[in-house]
Amino acid sequence: MTDARTFGFMLTMPVLAISQSVYAKDYLSVPQAQKLLFPDAESFAPHTVSLTKAQKKAIKKLSGVRQRWDEQKVWKAVAGGKTLGWFIVDEVVGKHEFITYAAALSADGHVLGLEVMSYRETHGDEVMQADWRAQFKGKTLGDVFKLDEDIANISGATLSCRNLTDGVHRLLALEKLVLNRG
Amino acid sequence: MTRIRPLATAALMAATFGTISAAHADESLLGRVKSAEVLPKGAYDLTLGTTWRQGKDRGSYDGVDVKAELEYGLTNRFQLGFAVYGRSVRNRGLLVDGYLPQEGTFGPKLAAIEVDSKYNFLSPAKDDFGLSLYSALSYGWMDQHSGQDKNTLSLEMKLLGQKYFMEGQMIWMGGIGFEGTYADRAYIPGLPEGFDWPIDPETELEITVNTGLSYRFAPSWYIGAEIEYQTEFETEVGQERWSVFAGPSIHYGGEKFWMTATWLPQLDGGGERYPGQTSGLHLIEKTKNEFMFKIGMNF
Repeated sequence: MTDARTFGFMLTMPVLAISQSVYAKDYLSVPQAQKLLFPDAESFAPHTVSLTKAQKKAIKKLSGVRQRWDEQKVWKAVAGGKTLGWFIVDEVVGKHEFITYAAALSADGHVLGLEVMSYRETHGDEVMQADWRAQFKGKTLGDVFKLDEDIANISGATLSCRNLTDGVHRLLALEKLVLNRG
Repeated sequence: MTRIRPLATAALMAATFGTISAAHADESLLGRVKSAEVLPKGAYDLTLGTTWRQGKDRGSYDGVDVKAELEYGLTNRFQLGFAVYGRSVRNRGLLVDGYLPQEGTFGPKLAAIEVDSKYNFLSPAKDDFGLSLYSALSYGWMDQHSGQDKNTLSLEMKLLGQKYFMEGQMIWMGGIGFEGTYADRAYIPGLPEGFDWPIDPETELEITVNTGLSYRFAPSWYIGAEIEYQTEFETEVGQERWSVFAGPSIHYGGEKFWMTATWLPQLDGGGERYPGQTSGLHLIEKTKNEFMFKIGMNF
């Protein structure tokens, strides 16, 4: 019984110890990310997209990536009455938590830029660095989107890199199938 | 029990102290089943694991194993580890010819050292299916079951598979491994006449197959379940034992550290049994329950 008590003590103390360590790293707000990705935009018109099952299925078919969310937060970036492109906030699975990022897509379906808004993993802070994110610039739906082929992998953060890469590919499919029709 | 306490306290202090400084990568989502992932180059992982082996149906039996391990990512595909084991065994009310020669409390004391490595052939996130080879060489001087002096030299080889589902929210892992052991027990003076305690060196071959699933149900929190079949063949008796353990785990993975708690009851077992044993389990070298707790820090 004393063994049980000792072991129980060993179990509970570290559990209590972790409660002090709630963490969150939010690097960018939506307005900050909008400003970085569309510096010339005069306004951002909210354009929340609700997806039907058929649309989600079509996105998966086109990109090879499951569309997890029924709703996608989208803004139309506008300047001088012209559409500069789409600003989309998305979340993908990281090793421990969701990674929140924003993608800027042009109206003709290529990537203008990428900003990581929230990253909470131990390894792989490099995904926030400009040179890693710059690999996505100019990419279109027809590109490969495969780690270590057209996007460099970051060791220790492979799942994060894979899901961010797949996420951008999926957003290009969303742009083609849903946003382009509006 | 009071003799078990110093070991437990040391484990607790190390675990609690460790949480102050560090952080994740080769983390254990389950108790027994290993992942195929490796640490990135230059990363360290310090893990402290405790296993409480409890109950043999008759009498009162408790074994506590503590493993402290430091792992290092030598390259992005290859990691090395060094581990130290501490152990304490308390046995009351059960003597088994050839296996449990004495009642009492043995330990806590240092029991074994181990060097291990993991080589990653395929990455589960990059190649869709993860595959690694784990190997470990260990030297021990305290019998895990009886607590008696016993020198052992073991070599373990294990193939590890891993697959992500739902973009990594659900993870399958599995392993198949072999462990060969050369064992040499020490003479115990004063045993009753006729009590069997062989002191000739023997060799053992252990085969382990396990598999499990882990699902992230909330940010940083995973629940999982695993099942493990293990059998051992030994020089004298052929197939000495087999057992099936299965049970749940809960895992927390944070930026600074991770931890996993597991309960593995023995569901089925066979092989050698002690006289008068009523349950259909293997309870000579195994117990009815195993409770595991691991905490790890990456930096």
